[in-house]
Amino acid sequence: MINPVRAFDGANVLKGKSALSTPLSPIQCYGIAVLSVLGALAAGLLLERFELRNISPFLLAITVAAWYGGIRSALLALVASFISFHFFFVEPLHSLRFTGSDLPYFIFFAVLALLVSWFKAAQQNVEGELREANERLEMAERIKQQASLLNLTHDSIFVRNMDFVITYWNQGAQELYGWPAEDAIGKDSKQLLHTVFSTPLDDINTELLRSGRWEGELRRTTANSIQIVVAARWSLQRNDRGEPAAILETSNNITEHKRREQEIQALNQELAKRSSELEAMNKELEAFAYTVSHDLRAPLRHISGYSELLQKTAASILADQTSRRYMTIILESVKRMGSLIDDLLSFSRIGRAETRKSLVNLTQLVKEAVNEIRQQAEGRDVVWKISTLPEFYGDRSMLRLVLINLLSNAVKFTRPRAQPEIEIGCVNGSRGEMAVFVRDNGIGFDMKYVNKLFGVFQRLHSADSFEGTGIGLATVQRIIHRHGGKVWAEGAVDKGATFYFQLSGHKENYGNS
Amino acid sequence: METVNKLGRILMVEDDSKDVELTLEALKDYNLANEVVVTHDGEQALDYIYCRGEYKLRSGENPAVILLDLKLPKVDGMEVLKQIKSDAKLKMIPVVVLTSSREERDMVSSYQLGVNAYVVKPVDFHEFVNAIKELGAFWAVINEPPPGSARK
Repeated sequence: MINPVRAFDGANVLKGKSALSTPLSPIQCYGIAVLSVLGALAAGLLLERFELRNISPFLLAITVAAWYGGIRSALLALVASFISFHFFFVEPLHSLRFTGSDLPYFIFFAVLALLVSWFKAAQQNVEGELREANERLEMAERIKQQASLLNLTHDSIFVRNMDFVITYWNQGAQELYGWPAEDAIGKDSKQLLHTVFSTPLDDINTELLRSGRWEGELRRTTANSIQIVVAARWSLQRNDRGEPAAILETSNNITEHKRREQEIQALNQELAKRSSELEAMNKELEAFAYTVSHDLRAPLRHISGYSELLQKTAASILADQTSRRYMTIILESVKRMGSLIDDLLSFSRIGRAETRKSLVNLTQLVKEAVNEIRQQAEGRDVVWKISTLPEFYGDRSMLRLVLINLLSNAVKFTRPRAQPEIEIGCVNGSRGEMAVFVRDNGIGFDMKYVNKLFGVFQRLHSADSFEGTGIGLATVQRIIHRHGGKVWAEGAVDKGATFYFQLSGHKENYGNS
Repeated sequence: METVNKLGRILMVEDDSKDVELTLEALKDYNLANEVVVTHDGEQALDYIYCRGEYKLRSGENPAVILLDLKLPKVDGMEVLKQIKSDAKLKMIPVVVLTSSREERDMVSSYQLGVNAYVVKPVDFHEFVNAIKELGAFWAVINEPPPGSARK
């Protein structure tokens, strides 16, 4: 991944290049001058051996020093050449007494040094300019390449200066905001995009200056006047002096994401509202059940009580058989109404009570239930067949109620049988889940009415033949449903009945999920 | 309304006049009926217990037992129970909740407040009569009430 900030750091690139042609150190400059003058002196002395007094070695020395050593070297070479020439080659020899006749030599040397230095400087200038132009070209090419790379990304990338003026705008920015680069560059980014900041700009700037970065959400408007939300990341670029110079922003469109987030939030609020409504309804139901419990019993008690009192006070009138029968019916009906109310209340309590789940050993629970039911079947020789049953996660006391209800039904409806048989076992139900069943060889039922079996106060037999209020199977169904399971029955008239239930909290399933 | 100065060993707090009648009927057998003071709501009951309002002039003895219904006008039974059991001078008075409610939360709250017994009024009259008789006999006759209680 290229660092976009680095890519645009042209100033640094240029500085790095020019640093390569460092100027000579003073020692090197003066060294060149001294060496060339010494060379010229040696050449001059050599030529004098052959009676040739010549100025040209010194001119050459000045030229060399000026060309290669620069102006300082040229000055030293000029002075040294003049002194050497005057000392060794001008009459009187070996003296440093200057006269006016020496001036033309000096001027000649000086003009030469000046000319050469000037040429050298001009040449260096031209060279430098050429090199700079070349480097600029190279950099422009590099930036172009990197910019085209930035265009490959789908992220929107743009660079702006500290006054928000856009200086770079990639293809992604064009796609996101709808403005082409030529329209965007030079514009104020805040105005162009109608940026709305979620945090005060001052805070953002503080963060940028502190860490060089900022991340956040911005609301903007595209060229097509569509409002969007973007997740923006800003990086601050500083110039050579360390002052903030530009900001590079990458951003992507999170409008859809935000919309979904809001949807989820709205749904959550709705859910919270619903659940509080449900809670209120539950409370209401509880209050209702309380009223039923308290207020429906009182009139019953009064009917029963005053009937008895009437029986006492009007004993002589109510002595006949018919009156006594009527009285019995009144009192029995009251009793029945009382147990209906009690059943309804305990049924509603099952719906309201919290389930306390634990690992329940069904085999053990069945044994307990059978022991309890045996008393009900006293005097009858019931054959119990109990298989080993799986373990379930469930509310123990509720599951116990399920078994008690199913077993007591089985006992009740096998009453006409000389040899009652009740079997408790389990089979593989649909989807491979274990289903527990209670099977009896009792009077059975017509499959036509199978749907009525689990209704509240639904009975398939008259109260005279089999007692009960018809709440048992409704209770079973409610408990099983509260465990996320299902319950069903099979049977035929006079051929017994089988009740199945399946719980979603089967131990193996529970472990796998 | 009972006579203001009537002294009884049993304070009955019951808003339903029929229940009152049936209760008194049941207590007749043990000659306890005329030992009963009936108040019809929680406020009246508290007035009786604290000897204030219409009961300002009664002698200060505490009843030997209070038969308390829970669902009462004005101040409900639970509140009456709470006041009795949180008053150092009154908390020794045996209180029996006598109610139609079989709701677990009512039983739990009553026992938490320190009720001495919780009896659900049976729907069947015979059972009702038996329950009341036994209650009356036990608390007003067999049980030795705390000092300061009304005695025969």
